[in-house]
Formats: sequence, structure tokens, C-alpha cells
Amino acid sequence: MLRTIKPKNARAKRALDAREPKEVEDARTAIFVRGTHTGEVVNNVMKELMALKRPDAISFSKKNAIRPFEDSSSLDFWAQKNDASMFLVGQSTKKRPAGLVLARMFDSKVLDMCEFGVDKFVSMSEFKTPKSTPGHKPMMHFASELFDTHPRYIQLKSLLMDFFNAEVIDSICLGGLEHIISVSVAPSSGLNGATGLSLGDGQSSEDLSKLPKVYVRTYTVRMLASGTRVPRVELSPMGPFLDLSLRRSQAADPDLWRAAMKRPKMKKQDVEKGLGKKRKNLEVDELGDLRGRVHIAKQDLDKLQTRKMKGLKAGPGEGDGESTEEGDGEDEGSKRRKRRKSS
Amino acid sequence: MDVSNILASHAAKFQSIDVEKETPLDVDTGFLTVTDLNPIDEDSYSTNLEEYLQSTARDGIQALIASLYSLPTKPSPDGPLAVLPPPTTLLPREKPLPKPKPPTKWERFASAKGIQKKVREKKIWDEEKQEWVNRWGRDGKNKEKEDQWITEVPANAAVDFDPVKVARDARKSRVAQNERQRLQNVARTTAQSERQDRNKEIDRTLATTRLSTASMGKFDKKLDGEKKLKGIKRKFEPTEIPIEREKQSSLAILSKLDGDVKRAKREKPNGGDDVLNVRKAIRSASRGRGAVALGRAQTRGDGKGRRGGKR
Repeated sequence: MLRTIKPKNARAKRALDAREPKEVEDARTAIFVRGTHTGEVVNNVMKELMALKRPDAISFSKKNAIRPFEDSSSLDFWAQKNDASMFLVGQSTKKRPAGLVLARMFDSKVLDMCEFGVDKFVSMSEFKTPKSTPGHKPMMHFASELFDTHPRYIQLKSLLMDFFNAEVIDSICLGGLEHIISVSVAPSSGLNGATGLSLGDGQSSEDLSKLPKVYVRTYTVRMLASGTRVPRVELSPMGPFLDLSLRRSQAADPDLWRAAMKRPKMKKQDVEKGLGKKRKNLEVDELGDLRGRVHIAKQDLDKLQTRKMKGLKAGPGEGDGESTEEGDGEDEGSKRRKRRKSS
Repeated sequence: MDVSNILASHAAKFQSIDVEKETPLDVDTGFLTVTDLNPIDEDSYSTNLEEYLQSTARDGIQALIASLYSLPTKPSPDGPLAVLPPPTTLLPREKPLPKPKPPTKWERFASAKGIQKKVREKKIWDEEKQEWVNRWGRDGKNKEKEDQWITEVPANAAVDFDPVKVARDARKSRVAQNERQRLQNVARTTAQSERQDRNKEIDRTLATTRLSTASMGKFDKKLDGEKKLKGIKRKFEPTEIPIEREKQSSLAILSKLDGDVKRAKREKPNGGDDVLNVRKAIRSASRGRGAVALGRAQTRGDGKGRRGGKR
């Protein structure tokens, strides 16, 4: 556990305040950790993923004796020390060659983890194509029905989205969309969510080998004129290209997950707008005032009471019974008014 | 006028931007993410993997770009910005939600009275100097009385009346009062949170004790003002469970028992089982001379030993 620091000057106080929990959170900072042995492949994979993740990335260049699935206390410590909430641990062992562990933290505790094996890796430098600018937000593309049905792939999608794209932004410059990260899954042979495996770590090796491979591809985007407002998109490979196979995973603790999924209380303006429920004829303006629109039936101008004159009065012989009655009423009213005037 | 040539050349120049899929693509513009839930076309997958992946990615991104370009925009120095809607995908938070700051005594009073909070600017206009000066701090306006070269003195002032000292003391006392009130607010909030913590702990203990009876507190005596516990159910294991799990649970019990035995051994290293105290038995059998003597007596012969015994 880290000691609690009392800031001694304004700069330190600002730095500590920046680490406080926020309602709308910043992008997740990722730490890239090397295990006791990382082969050339894992080193390169981590270097290139870090290039994609920059500037929210911290590299631990020294080796660390760490096994995230057995003991995650080091991860907890590093997360708190560096104010980071994602980890990519690279480790290559005889049993699990070229392994990567992607871990996600909540409140400096491990929320969930997923382990991959790198089957194939094509570096960025092998494509002589333009690269994206560091720090630009990628677009993400997921292609498989498993991302909606299978718990392992749902977790994978959530982890990768959190890794690359978790920051909530209110606007984006359309010219700055430069690259995409595409995640696809090999065809699944009779694997679906209903018969799917539980997310726990009690999975046997045959079950793991049944999980189809994951292809991570990175492309740059070219926008071509299409004659309409929306441009036509062309992709060119950028790299890195990764073929991953899923290995162990650790699902989130339900209590911790529930705490992590808590949303901030809605603002008054949003609540009054109806929170997605359509409320007709009501809107809330910038000042928080509720404004309504009222619709009235069309006015019948024939019955409009205009100025009363003697000449316009319906005579006793003219018109039907109804009009005479009306006339009587009017007469009474006028009498009353006269009386009031006189009194 | 025949426009078919023009249309054809236009079509040749600009390729289609429409994407047609069996299952419509799931676009989350807030996170710039598109999910394609269509099953994979295995033929094109096996013939040319890279080309297939690139073409599906292109289709998905085309759909995403189309929805991004249809968003309302706002101008900026770097070109138009698309205003993104809030994301639809739910991702876990990085840190817990920020806790609301406890209100100070003044803030509670102000909210009760309906007093609006006003932000005081740090700079105020100085008429004499004709410039903006600090309200407090370096060359602050609150030190004006101490710095001015001439001061009006009341007629009944004492001989050693020092107007600079009076002004300075007044200012210093205001600062001290503010600090005192701040500390009081801090002390109040910590005391409150401690009390809340203690109450919570008591509630938790009470709930545990209630749950500890077989009836889950159904027949317990109720205290005054005790709330009914919610969401408590007796949980029964199913009568039929897979053999694997049954084995696991039995083994867990056994290993726990094993652990008990080990612990008992550690605590009492030279005792036997609970029934016979071996040490005591040896002492009484050898009449206090110890195990070695007893052993020697045994090897010497049975008859002698018995004859020598006390009748």
C-alpha cells in the first residue's frame, strides 16, 4: 500500500487532484510490462502496440518476475503508483510461448484479464505505407457474431475497446480519422453462446483450442470523393498484424463489476428531457427551464364576437330560433352591463 | 437530352458508398466503433484471408464514416468538428464514482436560506490607480489601510493609537477566523463519517447474527426500531448435483479435517490422541521412573517384574 501524500505545494496538489476519480474519465493509461522472459516476437508486438497506444502508455523496460493469474499484487501496486488502469504483460514460457496478458483494473484492483498467444506477427515496418499520427483516435471494427454471444469474445471486445478507445469525447475532427483497428474472428465450428464455456479459469486445454483465432489488423483510411457528402473509404494496411489465440482468462468478480459499471447521476436537464424516453411537446432549454408547446384546435372565426352594433343585431323576425335565443342572451348581458354602468 | 452517358461516367468515377449486409451493422458513434455480427463467409475466408479481412473492415468502416458524416457539426479553427452522441456501449469505469463533497456549515445555511453562490473575482478595479488590483495577496486591496501614508484618526483616540496596527490586527483576525471555521468544518465531517461508519458496522454485525440462526432470525426477539432485512433467502443445495462437484465438496471437507489434525499436532507435539495421554500413562506404569526404565524392566523378563510389583 502506498503512503498517502499530503501535498506541500500547489503543483503537487494539482497533480494529486488530477488522479482523483472523475465523473467523465480520461483515456486509460496502459503499462507495458515484460515478464521474466520475452522472446523477440513478444518484444516487437509490445513495442508496436505501444506505438498505437501512445501517449497513454508507460513502458516498463526491465524484466519482472510476474504471473498475473497467480498473484496480481504487483499489478495492483503499479496501477496505484502510476495511475494506470490497463496492463499488457508479455511473457514467453515453454508451456505458453509468446504470451500476452491484457489486464484491466478498477480502483487499482484487477477487474478482469485475458491471455493471448501470438501465432503470427507482421510488423509495421514490413508495410511501406503511410502510418497514422501518434495520439489520434482509432476507429474500431469488430467482425464476428461471437462478439455478441460468446462470453470470452464479449470480454475480448470490451477489453480491446477499453484499451484503445475508452475515452468519452464530445466531438471529433473528421479529418483526423486516420486509422482503424479491425478485430475479426475465424469461423467458429459449432461454437455459440448457448453451449459456450463459462468464463472461469476451469477450462481444459481442448476447450481452449476449440476457440477460434482472433485476427487483429490495422489499416489506414483514405477518403475518396464519392459525389455525395459521405466520402468513399479505401483501406491500406498499416501494421501491426496479429493472429492471436485465446488462452486463460479471468472473469470479473460480480461485486467489483457492479461497482465498476455504476454510472453518474444524470443531470437535471437530461432527466427533464426524459432520458431517451420521448416526451412530446416538451423541451428543456439551456437555462434548465422546461418549455412546452401547446396545440389548440382551429378557431372557428364565425363564432368570433366582434364589436356589437345596433345595425348588426339580428332582428326579432329574422333568423331561426337559435339565433333569437342567442340574441336574447346578448340582450340580457347588455342590460346587465348597462345596469352596472348606471349603478 | 440523353444523360445516360454522363450518369455512367459518373458511376464509373465514383464507386458505391452503400453497404448492404444481412444483419445491419451495429454502429456506436460515441466510441467510433462498429460491430459486424454477420457470420463469416467461409469460402472467401479460406481462399484469401487478408483480402477478406480488409474488405469486411472496409464495409464496416464505410458504415461508420457514413454515420459520422451525418452528425451535426460545429466549426473550429482546425476544420469542422462532428458532435458525437454519448456512447451506447457500456464499459466499466476506471475508478469509482467521485464522492460528493460534504457541505460546510455556511453551505448548509445558504441552501436552507436559498442564497446563491457568488464567485468573487480575484481582481478588483482600483479607482485611484485606474487599474485592476488583487483583492487579496500581493499588493492586495485588503491591505490598503495599512499601506496608505495618511490615515484619519478619531478625535477621542489614545495617545499611542496606531491606525496601521489596528487595520492589520483586524485583517489578521479575519484570516484566523476563516481558518478556525475551516478546521471546524473538517472536524465535523470526520466525526460524522466516523459515526456513520460505526452505525454501518453495527448494522452489519446485527444482520450477521440474525442470519446465524437456523431460522435466519425468524423467531428472534425484535428490538425497537429494528428494520426488516431484505433480500435474505435460505439457500439449499440441490439434491442432485454432478458427481464432480459432489466429489469436490467432499474432498474439501476432508482436506479441512486433515488441516484440523495437522493443526492439533502442531499445537500438542508430544500428546497422543485425545483418549489416552501417553505421557501420563508411561509415568504411572513406570511409577515415575520414565519410559527408559520401563523398557528395561520389560526386557528383563515378565515373571520377575510381576513378582516385584506391589500387591
